[in-house]
Amino acid sequence: MLTELLQGSDAGGFIIIRDSASCSGRHLLKSFINAALNREEDVHVLGFEVSEEELKGSPVQRLHFHNAYSDPLGWTDQPTFTVHQFCLEELAHLLKQTSHPKPATLVIDSLSWILRHVSPPAVCATLHQLRKGGAVRAIVALLHGDMHQRGTVGSVCHLASSVITVAPGMKGGDAVAKITKRSKSGKVVQDEDIFTINNDLTVVIQSKHSQVGHKQADPEEQEMDPTAHLTFNLRLSNKEREAKEKLALPFVFSKEKKTALLHSSPGSGRILYEPDANDDYDQEDPDDDLDV
Amino acid sequence: MFTELNSILNTTPDSFTQGEFILLSDRQSDASFLIHHFLSLYLRARCKVCFLGLVQSFNHYSAIGQRLGVSLTQAKEKGQLVFLEGLKESLSVLIPQDTETGTRAMDFLRDPAVGLKSLYEFVRSGATSSGVGGREADGGEEWGPPVLLVDDLSVLLSLGVSTGAALDFSHYCRATVCSQLQGNVVMLARSDGRREEEEDGDDEGSERLLRGLTHQCSLTLQVQGLPTGFCRDIHGQVEVCWRRRQGDEQYKQKKLFQYKVHDKGASFFAPGTSSAVL
Repeated sequence: MLTELLQGSDAGGFIIIRDSASCSGRHLLKSFINAALNREEDVHVLGFEVSEEELKGSPVQRLHFHNAYSDPLGWTDQPTFTVHQFCLEELAHLLKQTSHPKPATLVIDSLSWILRHVSPPAVCATLHQLRKGGAVRAIVALLHGDMHQRGTVGSVCHLASSVITVAPGMKGGDAVAKITKRSKSGKVVQDEDIFTINNDLTVVIQSKHSQVGHKQADPEEQEMDPTAHLTFNLRLSNKEREAKEKLALPFVFSKEKKTALLHSSPGSGRILYEPDANDDYDQEDPDDDLDV
Repeated sequence: MFTELNSILNTTPDSFTQGEFILLSDRQSDASFLIHHFLSLYLRARCKVCFLGLVQSFNHYSAIGQRLGVSLTQAKEKGQLVFLEGLKESLSVLIPQDTETGTRAMDFLRDPAVGLKSLYEFVRSGATSSGVGGREADGGEEWGPPVLLVDDLSVLLSLGVSTGAALDFSHYCRATVCSQLQGNVVMLARSDGRREEEEDGDDEGSERLLRGLTHQCSLTLQVQGLPTGFCRDIHGQVEVCWRRRQGDEQYKQKKLFQYKVHDKGASFFAPGTSSAVL
């Protein structure tokens, strides 16, 4: 899904790249800028944390860098862009300065700097108004997730249509991107990609589910068939199976056995009984009520 | 100047990367021996050094500098070294004398909420001008790129400055010294290693300052004690982490070393190869 986000197919999107001290998301941000420039779009960068040379080596025509790095708080006499200018009117004025007819892409590096000086509700309101107003086509922002309270990070990420959380990968050059994307219909899709960034700022996705796939294959392989390599034969042929089913078990009482026991066969001894005077001869069969 | 550390970092007094922000940090340990290394390295490299010594007196650094082969007194007289002795200046703020000769750098002690703008002004004037001591008329020597050393930044948190203000100060120092003047910045930030809870929520904390500085820097040296405990021959371990991409390097490079501090320096070696063990 990282490739789709880089291609920028949906307009009005707000992408947040969330990084931490252990893994910087700035290279991915540069890849997004590069992808937007390759699509012939105008890109406006609000640079608070890095200078222009660091972000983009040589000046590019469609890339407008607004220098908020050298004096973001107005400590010198002539600040170019201060953090307190981060509001809808100033930003709209800034974006109108270019003569490109199509709305531009706004890149913010970084949102954490702004959140340290402007209250989170104001920042959220400005971002929301920017998206709705149509002044920008898309916003891509870098956020340092470990520099704010969880509530602040959660509120800002809630505004975004996609959040990419960058973490260090298993091997040295890799990084893992966990992506959560909210579409306009409300459906939420989550994905995880392992990627590296080349020197020309193109993103190479490693095999996505390589780690997950390994885990699934292993339990199946381990369940081996215990009857596979025996020295004796456990299987039955068809004739043997029929003979087995026909066999009458010794202590199961079937009809044939009952009649054989109750009606003695001819030739065996007969019992003659002459009752005495003292005998209480009952004609009834005491076993009559047995249900056998 | 520790020669082994120079070879690890690939620096010599004659050639070092410019525009670097180096963060020295420690967690329940003492990384101040690295400050002496960088001080002597940059003085030998004939850079203009601005040193904010907030935790020790000038004589302390001078004595250790002599053991490492540099004379701070001479450098200060020649105008190469601009030294802010934080302990002495803070006294003049708290006990104002009639003759105000000190700088306004430590004014944040009066009102910490104001921030560190005056300290930044001191740094800017120290790094840019060539004759702070009023000796510009005699055609002073040409020094190399400016270097700012701070020992240490986290003590400001104990003096009432907020983490945000300290991060703003380090941002402005980086913007001026690293990007504009192509010099280097070395800052020491200490932490007591307490893990803050997730919902700690407030602005303060040495861990938050460390994280913010890590985001800004290009090279970190983290000093920690050995995980197995105290050892007489190995004083701890240093993790060196390069954050910026240099040339063809694709990833963030990390290296771990163990060290031992001597009388006249410190030796660094790969884990397990201490001379006491081999």
